[in-house]
Amino acid sequence: MERSHELINLFGYRVSWAQLAWFGHRASGLGVLLFLFLHIVETSTVLFGPEVYDFTQTFYANLPAKIGEVLLMAALVYHSLNGLRVIVMDFWPSTTIYYRPLTYGVIAATTIAMVPLGLIILTPYLPWG
Amino acid sequence: MTTSTNRRPRTIYSNPSRAARPKPEASGRERFWWIFMRLSGLALVFLALGHMFIMHVLVVLTGDQIDFAFVQSRWGTPFWRIYDLLLLVLAFLHGVNGARIVISDYVAHRTARSLIIGVLLFISAAWLILGIAIIALFDPSAS
Repeated sequence: MERSHELINLFGYRVSWAQLAWFGHRASGLGVLLFLFLHIVETSTVLFGPEVYDFTQTFYANLPAKIGEVLLMAALVYHSLNGLRVIVMDFWPSTTIYYRPLTYGVIAATTIAMVPLGLIILTPYLPWG
Repeated sequence: MTTSTNRRPRTIYSNPSRAARPKPEASGRERFWWIFMRLSGLALVFLALGHMFIMHVLVVLTGDQIDFAFVQSRWGTPFWRIYDLLLLVLAFLHGVNGARIVISDYVAHRTARSLIIGVLLFISAAWLILGIAIIALFDPSAS
């Protein structure tokens, strides 16, 4: 029965969705924090006037940067939804029995939300956009 | 077998339904941060997602772009300045405390752990002050 919750077999570890959700929460959180550090430095150029700031912003106007932007947004959406799930189960422990459908729901909702959001961000930078 | 002077029991995530640590039993600093993470997290769902949605979706859909003039018009109003200040401080405290918890989960050696967390807090404090200074010092009338 336990095997049915297995996601992938990684070097002998059977990784479940719950473990992946836990790892994803940490990975996405650290990723967003890293960008926050970068974002503060980049925004500080606003104090040096329009030329400097507008030049800094051109660093974001290319496809690789936009892919990074989509990944950042996916990390933030996942961390938010999974965080809400943690809050719900921390304060209403009886909901813990639904942790598996809720975890699947968080992963599915993130994926579904990122399709239109990703298209809006990437389309102007794609060859056909 | 056990080197009790340098090691402490690892946090046990006994309940797989949790993506986070269980509520600390004793009241005090760790209990405060446990509650802070949940309250700030709830606020950040709206603040951070709202920020991302405005900056990276609405700006694209309205054909606008983020440049100096855009920042001037936004930070010309107290509402967005307070919004951004609140977002900055909450996101920073939430993120750095999260990083601290991850570090203390993986670094078992007490001295190394204190050192790494000390460096993290020192750098973070400097960065947060820089961030607050940007929002406070920006002059929207400058050109």
